[in-house]
Amino acid sequence: MNVLRTSLKHSRRELLRRGLCGLGIPFGMPLLLRRTASALATEALAGNGGEHQERILVVVELTGGNDGLNTVVPYRDDAYYRARPTLAIPKNDVIAVTDELGFHPSLVGFERLFKDGLLAVVEGCGYPNPSLSHFSSMGFWHTGVPNGGEALGWIGRFQDAQTPRSVPNAIVNVSSSQSLAVRGMVHSPLVFDDPHQLRREGTEDEKQMFGHFTTQTESNNPSLAFLRSTARNAADSGALVRDAWTSYRTPVDYGIGGGLGSDLRKVAALIAAGLPTRVYYVTYRGNAFDTHVHQADLHSRILMYAADAVRGFVEDVGRIGRAGDVAVMIFTEFGRRIEENASQGTDHGTAGPMFIVGPSIQGGFYGRTPSLEDTDDGNLKMTTDFRRVYATMIAEWMDFRDTSGILKGGFEPLGVFS
Amino acid sequence: MNLDRRTWALVSRAARGICGGLALCIQAFGGGGPDLAAAWIDDLRPIQTDDWKYERAGHLLERAGFGATPAEIRSLAELTPQEAVGRIVNYESIDVSDLAEFEESGLWDPGMDPFPPSRAEAVRIARANGVALGVAVLPEGNSRRLQPVVDKFFYGLRANVLETRRLALWWANRMLTTPRPLQEKMTLFWHGHFATSETKVRDYRMLLAQNRMLRENATASFRTILLDIMRDPAMLVYLDNGENVKDHPNENFGRELLELFTMGVGNYTERDIREASRAFTGWTNSVLEFRFDDASHDFGTKEFLGERGDFGGEQIVDIILSQPVTAEFLAAKIYRYFVREDPSESTRKQLARVLRDARYELKPLLRMIFLSRDFYSSASVATQIKSPVQLFVSTYRKLGLERLPTIPDFNALTGRLGQSLFFPPNVAGWAGGRTWITPATLLDRGNALRNILFAPEPEAYGHPDRRLPGIYRRVADRLEQGMNITNATRSGDSGSSMLADADEDYNTRYGGYRGYVLAFERIKLVPRHQAKFDLLSMVRSAGADTASEAVDHLLARFLRTPIPAPVRNRLVDHLVESLGSSRLSGDAATVEEALRSLLYIVLCSPEYQLG
Repeated sequence: MNVLRTSLKHSRRELLRRGLCGLGIPFGMPLLLRRTASALATEALAGNGGEHQERILVVVELTGGNDGLNTVVPYRDDAYYRARPTLAIPKNDVIAVTDELGFHPSLVGFERLFKDGLLAVVEGCGYPNPSLSHFSSMGFWHTGVPNGGEALGWIGRFQDAQTPRSVPNAIVNVSSSQSLAVRGMVHSPLVFDDPHQLRREGTEDEKQMFGHFTTQTESNNPSLAFLRSTARNAADSGALVRDAWTSYRTPVDYGIGGGLGSDLRKVAALIAAGLPTRVYYVTYRGNAFDTHVHQADLHSRILMYAADAVRGFVEDVGRIGRAGDVAVMIFTEFGRRIEENASQGTDHGTAGPMFIVGPSIQGGFYGRTPSLEDTDDGNLKMTTDFRRVYATMIAEWMDFRDTSGILKGGFEPLGVFS
Repeated sequence: MNLDRRTWALVSRAARGICGGLALCIQAFGGGGPDLAAAWIDDLRPIQTDDWKYERAGHLLERAGFGATPAEIRSLAELTPQEAVGRIVNYESIDVSDLAEFEESGLWDPGMDPFPPSRAEAVRIARANGVALGVAVLPEGNSRRLQPVVDKFFYGLRANVLETRRLALWWANRMLTTPRPLQEKMTLFWHGHFATSETKVRDYRMLLAQNRMLRENATASFRTILLDIMRDPAMLVYLDNGENVKDHPNENFGRELLELFTMGVGNYTERDIREASRAFTGWTNSVLEFRFDDASHDFGTKEFLGERGDFGGEQIVDIILSQPVTAEFLAAKIYRYFVREDPSESTRKQLARVLRDARYELKPLLRMIFLSRDFYSSASVATQIKSPVQLFVSTYRKLGLERLPTIPDFNALTGRLGQSLFFPPNVAGWAGGRTWITPATLLDRGNALRNILFAPEPEAYGHPDRRLPGIYRRVADRLEQGMNITNATRSGDSGSSMLADADEDYNTRYGGYRGYVLAFERIKLVPRHQAKFDLLSMVRSAGADTASEAVDHLLARFLRTPIPAPVRNRLVDHLVESLGSSRLSGDAATVEEALRSLLYIVLCSPEYQLG
């Protein structure tokens, strides 16, 4: 019924393995390519430990605090229209998906995913005692420990728990700086922005010397051990990522937004290249969702960019036969206040919707839509603890059952993956 | 362990050879030996004179400042530890009148204050008053009557960014050349602690004033610094305190005060934040001056951290300072900045007590840290990942430079590695430590250092502070081809139609372009010059005649922890190969080139990222 669901993943996966190992590596290849290809083959095999081993989680962060009410619009609720005299999306413009709720008109990409049963909306996500500070709230989402001062990220802790031995590139963070969410004790995430950055300058003689720095990785000095393992990771992964990126061609349209679409295309390229990465982390950059002033046009534009990029990504991983292995989770650090402010914008708020995308899910709505009348001083009362969504991704999707250790408490998964 | 000991012995031997028996230089690495240094972990008692060695003086200069040359380290090593630390901490007696003040370009014209928050606001003022930003609307009959106002608005934005970049270069040069390194190092600490970014402030004068204030107070009492920062125009603007008024308190200021400046998350409630914010209502600024606005101040009773009263901002600060957790929070952060991550519970408590006993005067705390055995223990020495600013300033210092090279541009170097002075990433400042390092930034550190060692000529490098961004370069090109403004500014890309304007009263893109042109005319040009240094003379004057002696000198000079012996041997082989000889003989330019290539490799080592 759906192209994406009838994926070619198994044969494709086989092809990848056989192509690289079965055919052998030609002797005539340049050293670098030969190393890359064999490393790639080894790593493709390294991930072969069972059906769930190759499942991939892609986390998309909408930085700045996305206005949830103008994203998933309660278009039957008069209170919504009263609170937002200039910013409310008119009923006729809303893309209605249920009797109560609809998407912002820019979310054509989400509408298509929803109709195909590939999109789950989790309503009212937040946490107790919400902070309205970007920094604090994002920190709480990153660590998965609200008001707790945890130093490691939830993805880092998850990978540490699931794969206690360090595996190169288990986590990839497409960004110019590493997100707290991926910080762990064991794994050193591959963080890059421009794949071409992952390259050393210098003469061939000089470059040959760099390998010597990392022949010995252990050290009594933990900072030195960290640097050595990062250096080795950089050297190994640099060529891999650059090759994957430069050789990647796709006809799929990721929309015109650039940023997020281009980052998700990098993710698709790495998945296509068979990296053993379990979690990819990408960010909609520039704090774009912090829409305090003249929000309407801006928000409309970035929602379109985001939805088109995600829809394009899902199509693209389907095209390369990996759709069944990939699920996307989309979050933001908080929603915005119910009432618009005096500058046709919205100020920091609390709860908001999260999204889960992929062919393995049961599409539809989860969680209860927060009331616009029973509020917490003008802010939405959260109805779904966001850690339940994390638990869903960890337990239902990544098949790691002990979520309470990672999330520091019991959080019931939502049953999004059937 | 074995390997480390061998390396240590080997390097010590080499260092002995080079220094011609200079006892101070022998302790290239390792100090009192690994075992003693390990026993010192968490021992805050002062180091004894017998334990005071070249290596430890080097460590002190690396951390309390921005690194040093062997000669500077030796002069400190000759003192007692008390004298050495005293010289670093009690820097007031050291004359710095030679250091140049920042030379302002004078970009601010009459009428530009207060600078409007947006182009739209500038236009609104111009429509209402016929003048804005000191510029008059053109008389009826002219096309684009508001264009001069829009041009001036963008000029203000661009010129302030350029001037702030110049300010950052001035500061970096001061870090490099100051005889009071701790003062600059603490100023940098406060800049991260009280993070304030040009991106929001958009007024270099405020950032300059804040930078002066932080330098002035660098090691003063925390109470003084705190009260000054709460009255600091740049900070008031950065945290929107102008909008913190009685009827609509804005909690940003109160939140950051508690969360980031003094107590840390988890030690107060959201209600405490609200009450603190109320006490700071009416704390605002008239451009460059602090102003207390009676009318918007909430004089009512507040309940804050269990106390009740008609508190104003100053009382709130004093209540915060009376919390034991505040002293712990600050002491731990200063410890992390100078020593290492994760101070132990007992270290934190002891340091906090010193801070409280001194009524938040910082010098006793700094003295204690720099004298402590813990500071010189194996857990501390060469375990800190250098910040980008530290990496480049200390590289220049170790090269013996006396002025900041501007090829490559310092801001570009540090910026691409995640640290731009006056542009911290958010209110929390730079996270530091391991967050500086990703696979990409680690590779890029080496590439950046290569650009210093093999810098392009000024003619080839040009002037990055005169470069138009792509979209404006296209506008400039089209205007030059004779196109009119409407056509020259027409955008080809889809999706940007919402950004277009009617092009009747003014043209935004043309204004953006004109803003650059006007700023380029006004802002002083940064003179461009490469680093001037001579590695051959440097290693020769240290007594090196052979390739292996040169390698050992450079390793000892630049690294704070030894590299494994096999790697050191590879480096010697590499140098011998590029020299075609095991001696530093032959054409000086060729030898210099070979030494630079060698140093490039050394600076790429994981070890060099540690200070």
